Amino acid sequence: MAARSGRQPGTRTPRRVRDLLRRHEETRGLLVAFEGPDGSGKTTQRKLFARWLESQGHRVFVTKGGSSPLIKPLLQARRKAHALSPEELCLLQAADFRNRLEQEILPALWSGQVVIADRYLFTGLARDAARGLDLDWVLHAYAPLFWPDIVFNFTVSLDTSTSRVASARAPKFYDAGQDVTHLQDPIISYRAFASRVMREYENLAVIFRFVTIDGEQPIYEQHKRIRRLYQEARRTVWGEWNIEALTEWLEWAAAVPEVGREA
Amino acid sequence: MKRKDQAQGRLIAVEGTRGTDLRKSARALRRRLISRKVGVGVSWWDASGAFFEMGLGKRKHRIASPRTLMLLYAADLLFRLRWEIRPALAEGRTVIAAPYLGTAVAFGRACGLSRDWLASLFGFAPRPDACHRVEERKKAAGWKGSAQVGFGEFSSAILGAVSPSFEPVRLRRETIALLEKSCRRGRVS
Repeated sequence: MAARSGRQPGTRTPRRVRDLLRRHEETRGLLVAFEGPDGSGKTTQRKLFARWLESQGHRVFVTKGGSSPLIKPLLQARRKAHALSPEELCLLQAADFRNRLEQEILPALWSGQVVIADRYLFTGLARDAARGLDLDWVLHAYAPLFWPDIVFNFTVSLDTSTSRVASARAPKFYDAGQDVTHLQDPIISYRAFASRVMREYENLAVIFRFVTIDGEQPIYEQHKRIRRLYQEARRTVWGEWNIEALTEWLEWAAAVPEVGREA
Repeated sequence: MKRKDQAQGRLIAVEGTRGTDLRKSARALRRRLISRKVGVGVSWWDASGAFFEMGLGKRKHRIASPRTLMLLYAADLLFRLRWEIRPALAEGRTVIAAPYLGTAVAFGRACGLSRDWLASLFGFAPRPDACHRVEERKKAAGWKGSAQVGFGEFSSAILGAVSPSFEPVRLRRETIALLEKSCRRGRVS
């Protein structure tokens, strides 16, 4: 499913951009996304993976959903006040993603770092769709898409996810989907919402070719599998898959000194 | 302006590039409608306070691309529709939205974003019943005044501070031209 481009129709990729991308294809870093429902073990595996990459001599940059310095305070305050409709939440998350992509993820990849995304845009897509939003509209909000090289999708049963989440803390209002389930108990709400989110992840896994990791396997088994899959992974060819997002960013990067230094 | 009974429950978009002129124009329109005994309210830009809060953040973090700014404008417009515009329309009141879709779409297009992407992004917003375009003054100048005055001022301050390709005079001139074109065609997006 390809989201419509965000660029002016008829705009052709300049030759200098294509040349630049070709030159950077070998030196650029890889983008690895860790996705999956809460309590599926993503963060544990992300930490192990980052440490392993560093031990192999790679420079690693980690980015987490909702962490853009520009948008994070807005999101946090509104989430705390339970003041967001599903559409508003979707757009603020898309703004957060865009801001991190342009200012953190792409500059890091360009400079050769391996970027690990602890939740990429797919969490937003799965949750937005689970909230009843039209997936096509949501995809357009995130357009132009930037495809990661690998997406590890952690799967666990609903019972495992719920028990892991409940054992650590009560899930927050929006993470538990209480805005759409209207259930008072966050755990009960989480269970109802997570089942919808898991269904959406299954759909996205087919569309976006996720690599499935069984989150119920022993931690070290998962880690070994992730290492192996990473070593066997083939790079997404930027010039084919990510040309629109990169062209836009390069035009922007050349203009923004902080980012331009990297580019 | 149509008769009183027709004016009720209507959404009127007031579009323009400068926040101060938009405010003046929307207030004048409101006074005119009130004098005709029309129940009227005004929905201003940044009712959600998102842009205001962004302005309070550290300067080094105040870097955003046109696309990010459009996503934030759309989020703010959703807030305005939910809390201000739709409830007032449901009560049969007239709502002046200053600005509404036209200004944002024209600004986005002047920044190089595609019409399709903008149309899809703002697909949730109902079409206004009428569009009133503010008489633009000093068309050959950029924006001036506080960034909190309006969307154009805020965005040009953010974009202009970091990027020569978003030069404010050119950006405003193109926004005005696009706004004039869309209003001439009787539509705002």
